[in-house]
Amino acid sequence: MSTSGELDLAYGVLDHQLVDSEGRRCGKVDDLELEGKAGAELRITALLVGPGAWRGRLPGPFARLAGRLFARKLVRVPWDVVESAEAAVHLGKTASELGLGRGDDRWRKRIARIPGS
Amino acid sequence: MKRIFEVALGILAAIGGFVDIGDIVFNTAAGATFGYGLLWVVVLGVGGIITYSEMCGRVAAVSKQPVFDAVRERLGLATGLVALVAAQIVNLLTLAAEVGGIALTLQLLSGLPYRALILLGVLALAVVIWVLPFGWIERVFGYVGLCLLVFAVAAIKLHPDWGEVAKGFVPHVNTESPLVYGYFAVGLLGAAMTPYEVYFYSSGAVEEGWTPKDLGINKANAIIGYGLGGFLSFALMITAGALFLPLGIEPELLGTVALGAEVPLGQIGLILALVGTLFAVGGAAIDTCFSGAYNLAQFLGWEWGKYRGEARAPRFTLTWLVLLALGFCIVMTGIDPILLTEYSVIFSVVALPFTYIPILLVANDKSHMERYANGRVANTLGLFYLLVILVVSLTAIPLMLLTNMGQG
Repeated sequence: MSTSGELDLAYGVLDHQLVDSEGRRCGKVDDLELEGKAGAELRITALLVGPGAWRGRLPGPFARLAGRLFARKLVRVPWDVVESAEAAVHLGKTASELGLGRGDDRWRKRIARIPGS
Repeated sequence: MKRIFEVALGILAAIGGFVDIGDIVFNTAAGATFGYGLLWVVVLGVGGIITYSEMCGRVAAVSKQPVFDAVRERLGLATGLVALVAAQIVNLLTLAAEVGGIALTLQLLSGLPYRALILLGVLALAVVIWVLPFGWIERVFGYVGLCLLVFAVAAIKLHPDWGEVAKGFVPHVNTESPLVYGYFAVGLLGAAMTPYEVYFYSSGAVEEGWTPKDLGINKANAIIGYGLGGFLSFALMITAGALFLPLGIEPELLGTVALGAEVPLGQIGLILALVGTLFAVGGAAIDTCFSGAYNLAQFLGWEWGKYRGEARAPRFTLTWLVLLALGFCIVMTGIDPILLTEYSVIFSVVALPFTYIPILLVANDKSHMERYANGRVANTLGLFYLLVILVVSLTAIPLMLLTNMGQG
């Protein structure tokens, strides 16, 4: 958020790194959920995270390919959890509370089995 | 005093870390073909890597953003993805070339079979990455890589015509074979400005937790470290120009490069050259391997970093393990590592603008960078080099095809 109090959604939030309340990196702002209609006030309600969120932003054929390769998983992070939006978007809750960073959680146990890790 | 010592150690590591298989191959080949006539291109290339390393180190220290974080933010998802794919392909090719270089050097040192040494080299790299902390990896490989300074002694011992050497530093174009000259110029620029160096440098700065207090170290590392690293490139080119050009030798083998130190300095020269090459190339293999994992994790928002411990950044760890395995498979096919090096350098030149444009944009963003945003000098140099990179990236592949990779 800039000092003028304005927030640039395109450059200030979208595609930024998400960091949870414990400093863990837990995904990107893959899309935004807005509320309102043409001519009326528009409000940002949530950040959308995961393949289900970014798939639709790719050009047609790539979106279809991504649909085959990845699950359509989408996590909705309510806007009121966002504490600050600078170079990274900082969240007020932990990744596991929000359902983020599941991919890292899944692989953690397997990697931890390798000696010395 | 302790601080000065730390800075000096960082600089030494940067010097040793500057040279990789691409620099060794292109500087020696350029010297053997055009003597000292391309020295000025190395100066140009070193200026470029200094400009952009300083910029992305500053971004890392102030806004904590590594390169592919900036790529995703500035280029968006779709264009950013193109940049990611290009960077990953080039990175993997470079990693494979470095692994091949390790095996070739080990073969020259031990005489054992090449394929067994590829396996040994890759296993050794995996163990080193797993066991040693980040700072140690950088330093051990950087310091021992300094053995390559033997080429500076060799260059002096070969008594080059220093007047001719001085002329080589003046920008000019060779009119006899301008296309081959152009191909080598592009290769030298690509080798000096290899993209993995900026990925690794900026991610490393975030890993080491740099803050604006470290901006002095950043400047010193970039300017002095890479500047003196360029000195090693001069030494390689002058040695090749003084020794190989008059004899008409085309250094197509890594062993020929080491010969440049053996002829004037004997056995000790040969051993220092090979050990220096082994560690310079080994360090670069680790840098490229990590760079690939950094890029992917930063683009997708995964947890990343060596300092987190292997299990705390599991998909990052998995990625570098997979990349190392892929690099191993590529070299095991028996493809010539020197040829692989040439391809990796030329393709890296094509992918360079994707890396440098987002860095320049973020370094100019006052909302992230505040008073540390680019000043006039950084922007003038940044734009100048962007122009150079654009020209070079457009001409790289045509020149490669027209000259049959510098064969004329």
